[in-house]
Amino acid sequence: MAFAWKASGLTYNKYLSVAARVVRRSLKDDKRLAAERRGEMELKFAKWNNGKQGEVKSVADANAAAATEAASHTS
Amino acid sequence: MLSRAARPALRAGAAASSQSAAPRTYATLREIEQRLKSIRNIEKITNTMKVVASTKLNRAQRAMTESRQYGQTSNTVFEQAETKPLEGDGKKTLIIVASSDKGLCGGIHSGLSKRVRRMLAETPDADIVVLGEKCKAQLGRSSSRNIVLSFSGVGKDIPTFADAQAIADQVSLLPTDYASIQIVYNKFINATSYEATPIEAFSEEAIANSPNFSAFEIDDEALANLREYALSNSLFWALAEGHACEQSARRNAMDNASKNAGDMITKYQILFNRTRQAVITGELVEIITGAAASEE
Repeated sequence: MAFAWKASGLTYNKYLSVAARVVRRSLKDDKRLAAERRGEMELKFAKWNNGKQGEVKSVADANAAAATEAASHTS
Repeated sequence: MLSRAARPALRAGAAASSQSAAPRTYATLREIEQRLKSIRNIEKITNTMKVVASTKLNRAQRAMTESRQYGQTSNTVFEQAETKPLEGDGKKTLIIVASSDKGLCGGIHSGLSKRVRRMLAETPDADIVVLGEKCKAQLGRSSSRNIVLSFSGVGKDIPTFADAQAIADQVSLLPTDYASIQIVYNKFINATSYEATPIEAFSEEAIANSPNFSAFEIDDEALANLREYALSNSLFWALAEGHACEQSARRNAMDNASKNAGDMITKYQILFNRTRQAVITGELVEIITGAAASEE
């Protein structure tokens, strides 16, 4: 098992975004505010099935749910 | 918005010209005045949107040049490795369309949709992921069966890398394994012309099969990470460049709209003055003939 984050069910992108968030939060106040605005994400998404749009969900919630699900599978 | 608001004005303009022959000119005079007022309002709105778009454009362009550099650097690896997309042997293609939520910016969204439809004509079983409401509406009408995911909330502001990462995450969670992923975005050629272009995001197999792959020493496990990372890099590039194109297209569209509104205003102003004079002349004639008739 080479990567601890992979074992806990994170994708590489998720891992990167968590690492980036930690770096942003540890900046000094003035720089932190500018940097945290670069980390905002308010996307919504919907799955499509047979030409019909499904339910609209927030991407952030769905990603978190997927991560926990993957974690429960691997561990 | 402009076309919708201007339509009654046009209709009324036609009505005004047909009515001006008729003796009742008072009503048209007031109508023309109202129309003039509404066109002036529209001009104000489009002008403001133009100014807003111009200010946003500068920032968007800076973000675009930076992200383009970034995306190209990320693609250097694949250029060096001479990675080529796998020839499709039953494997599916995924098309990601990088549009945005807002309209009123000329034909850039329909340009993307057209390009995607052309690609679909070549590979009819390709799946589509749509970023942005506009292309979702357009592609949802013509080829809704191909759409697997759609994202909204794109392009409110300059796209962040977090956006690209979240999208790439969702895309990699899709159950199907895709042989090639094409990201279609608007390439910024200059301030007035854009071209819908695809960039390729390679699958793991394609990377592993590239001719110069042995030049790099990497773990097999790291390859999946590279693929995900490269996908979000390319997405970020496409989103940022698409955003800059949209702002610049909106600026041009609103510039044209304001100009057209200005033309209409001068035309209606002349029509208004003519009608007013006709009304006054008509009244004078009536008074004089009345006076002449009562004298006798």
